[in-house]
Amino acid sequence: MKIDVAQPQYVYRNNKGLLQTLHIDGWLLLGILILLATSVAIVYSASGGDEAVTIRQLIRIGFSFALMLVFAQIPPNIIYMFTPWLFLAGILMLLGVLLFGDVGKGAQRWLDLGPVKFQPSELMKLVLPITVAWLFAHSRFPPSLPRLIFGAVLIGFTASLIVVQPDLGTSLLIAMSGLFVLFFAGLPWKVIIAAIAGTVLSAPVAWHFMHSYQKQRVMTFLNPESDPLGSGYHIIQSKIAIGSGGLDGKGFMGSTQAHLDFLPEGTTDFIFSVFSEEFGLIGVLLLLTVYSLVIARGLYIASQAQDNFTRLMAASLTMTLFVYIFVNIGMVSGVLPVVGLPLPLISYGGSSLVTLMISFGILMSIHTHKKLLTD
Amino acid sequence: MTEHLQFNSDAEVFQQKRQFRFRLYIALVFVLLLFSFLVSRMVQLQWIEYDRYQGLAEGNRISIETLTPTRGKIYDRNHHLLAENKPVYTLQFIREKMNNIDSMQSTTIRILNDVSSEKIHNFFTQFKLKNRSRSYTLPFSLSEEQAAQFSVISHKYPGATLTARLKRTYPYGSTAVHALGYVGRINAKDLLKLDKKAYRGTDIIGKSGIERFYESTLHGTPGIQQIETNARGRVLRNLETLPAKAGQDIQLTIDITLQEFAESLLENQRGGIVAMDPRNGEILAFVSMPTFDPNLFVDGIDQTSYNRLLNNPDRPLINRVINGQYPPGSTIKPFVALGAIENDYITPAKKIYDPGYLLYKGHRYRDWKRSGHGWMDMNDAIEQSCDTYFYKLSLDMGIDAIHDAMAPFGFGKKSGIDIHGESTGILPSQAWKMATKGKPWYRGETVIASIGQGYNLATPLQLARATAILANRGKIITPHLLKTPHAEELQQIEIKKIANWEAVISGMKNVMHGSRGTARRYVKNLPFKMAGKTGTAQVYSLNSGSYDADSIREKLRDHSLFIGFAPVDNPKIAVAVIVENVGSDMETAAPLAVRLITKYMETQLQNSDK
Repeated sequence: MKIDVAQPQYVYRNNKGLLQTLHIDGWLLLGILILLATSVAIVYSASGGDEAVTIRQLIRIGFSFALMLVFAQIPPNIIYMFTPWLFLAGILMLLGVLLFGDVGKGAQRWLDLGPVKFQPSELMKLVLPITVAWLFAHSRFPPSLPRLIFGAVLIGFTASLIVVQPDLGTSLLIAMSGLFVLFFAGLPWKVIIAAIAGTVLSAPVAWHFMHSYQKQRVMTFLNPESDPLGSGYHIIQSKIAIGSGGLDGKGFMGSTQAHLDFLPEGTTDFIFSVFSEEFGLIGVLLLLTVYSLVIARGLYIASQAQDNFTRLMAASLTMTLFVYIFVNIGMVSGVLPVVGLPLPLISYGGSSLVTLMISFGILMSIHTHKKLLTD
Repeated sequence: MTEHLQFNSDAEVFQQKRQFRFRLYIALVFVLLLFSFLVSRMVQLQWIEYDRYQGLAEGNRISIETLTPTRGKIYDRNHHLLAENKPVYTLQFIREKMNNIDSMQSTTIRILNDVSSEKIHNFFTQFKLKNRSRSYTLPFSLSEEQAAQFSVISHKYPGATLTARLKRTYPYGSTAVHALGYVGRINAKDLLKLDKKAYRGTDIIGKSGIERFYESTLHGTPGIQQIETNARGRVLRNLETLPAKAGQDIQLTIDITLQEFAESLLENQRGGIVAMDPRNGEILAFVSMPTFDPNLFVDGIDQTSYNRLLNNPDRPLINRVINGQYPPGSTIKPFVALGAIENDYITPAKKIYDPGYLLYKGHRYRDWKRSGHGWMDMNDAIEQSCDTYFYKLSLDMGIDAIHDAMAPFGFGKKSGIDIHGESTGILPSQAWKMATKGKPWYRGETVIASIGQGYNLATPLQLARATAILANRGKIITPHLLKTPHAEELQQIEIKKIANWEAVISGMKNVMHGSRGTARRYVKNLPFKMAGKTGTAQVYSLNSGSYDADSIREKLRDHSLFIGFAPVDNPKIAVAVIVENVGSDMETAAPLAVRLITKYMETQLQNSDK
């Protein structure tokens, strides 16, 4: 076959073993499997040995694992084609939530579609960074100012639809995932520094617009002992759980804090506290190592990606994963305010797991659908 | 991606990739920096401050206990206690902390000698299978003596805690249970509706009657207490307390003495009695017979007792006052008569001849008096309860005019009493029949509707309310059980001529005091004048032929009804009495009402003497 250099060749690698055929990245898979196995064990323990809960978690893991496999098969250029439509659908669903959403725990986050209820904001965690990556797919480095502004508007608009639900935590995290794309697309350093300075200076203004429960969380965060009976209780009990784990932990099923009901939400947002109580500092270090390896692999995939779109997508999805890990652990260990956020791949629950596994599927697809080009 | 190559030269692409990778490195450094920060935090918590947290977790535990609010008490209008909270003792077990469950079981069986050992055995069999670290409460309460016995030996049994709690108690037992209602265990259905935060530590909720309607007032707000316990769960000291706010006490309009008397009147019978103050709608007695003991429900009723109540043919659980829908019978005649004269269908003096029946379209509508009453004016017709008079009148009025005349008295709609689940009764009209049956109204149905038969249905409460509105000359009162200090603004039925009202009331007075009144034999030597109207409700429509009450099965016998008020000129009490299935030969409702009203008037007199 004659290769015409002027025309790009869409020839995929072939016959490189089972993993390649299934478009699976072995290193990512290993990390994910370790984390999911940990999830099953710790959900079992944190629920006090509740088998029904554990089986539900196993089913969710199986389902989202299958989704990951499906998404790994989709070549990035297909995702690229559908990105604007996905974004449009996501925005429409967010508007739908505002108009017809189900009110759960005082906030409108759920869309009720007959048998399934789901949170469009969860979907947006994926769609927004992909959309911004799409926007910068053909941009120069650094990008032009109008394009940057357009990207910022896109991020701001999406975040504002979520902030009015009201869900400040999620909207900040989604905005963050979009901002990562801007960063990797070459946002000038002076803009970055100015933005950080601006955020710090505008904190008092934000304070003014916060809901009282959010203010309460910030206050409690700054001084949990000020409210030991109310919202400070969670953080205090969580710190006791982590601290009393010591170096080697109390052993599997040994969390007294969770089993004696001192720890709230032990299987969901505060699952890290149970983990560190049972497996101690050594367990925590191992867990953070596995997370670091997964993140490093994600960044490596980004560095090896062949075009702007996949590059930006891979980098921002990986960094979003990192932010989630950091915010959750920071929250339960009392260095960040309490925002309702699960620990990626470990916490009990379905929607966050699905989103994460889809993003892993996309990462694997980026890495395994490559064109044979001279590089 | 073709344009990609067109826009960017190879050098540019390379440059772009290099700058992207540089940013990736920065991101990686950022990740590692923040992870190191987390690690240092973990080192601080798990290594440096380990001893402190270890101490907090293992040695002394801080836990938060909910302080259950005391439920508000309920009093009657004279401050007699109707619902209170009495201390009882219960045992809680936590399996994890126990060292010998079997010996605990035998001790429990020994101390709780009033509970069958089998039931306790069953509890422990279940208990051994449940969550090790949770606390489970023995579903039987201990008397003070049993509690004392246990506390002496409690040191031998870690993991078992004796708790004193307050149990809802109804000192009058079954009296007024249908008004008062009862509390019971919170079930899954209740959980859907209630604010879980407000019910932490509470396992009972108002299930019916006043207990349910005023749940939010009676419940109160739970408090929290931070306590320090040792590893075995014993309380070492209290740290901080946010006290519970007790529920508010409430006072009812019920007069429990009158209530007891009214219930005694219906002893061994089925029926309902409502007595209210026509000046303000305060309910003085609220009787639905037979009754049941609400104390059974407080800790959860056992299945056998519940089935016995449920399957009792006399249906004690039914609240007849608000849910018993009876054909009102002749008790509606005064209201029909008032509607007729107010709207000029007839004058009070106009006489109608009663041959003992009305012939209409080939059908013979019989009067209760086969020989007929002869010439009747309106006063006679009410006094003697002449059916034919009303048959004829109703054909002139039509069903819609009857409906419009009776609706303001509250027939066919809820009275608005402060109990949930009231029935509406039926006040028929052409529109009603078309809407519910999909058929047009037949004029023959108007004839029987005029004497409260046919489609007409009313609850005892509706009858009492209508009587009260008639007694107070058109002031529309809302019956209520909660005593409120301030009088509410009352609406007034439009009165075209007050003489019309007085004429109807005078007819009702003659029912009691007239020479031919249907209830005249019950009011000998009454020290005051009262007005009333008797009624009979056919349960089973017999085809023509003789009526022999004995030959009909008891449940098919007629209901006996009575409405009335006293004194005629300045009414202080209005009543409705319904006695189910008495048969027409013994007129029970009227004498019962007279005795009830007499009793009330006597106490009123005594009170004013004091």
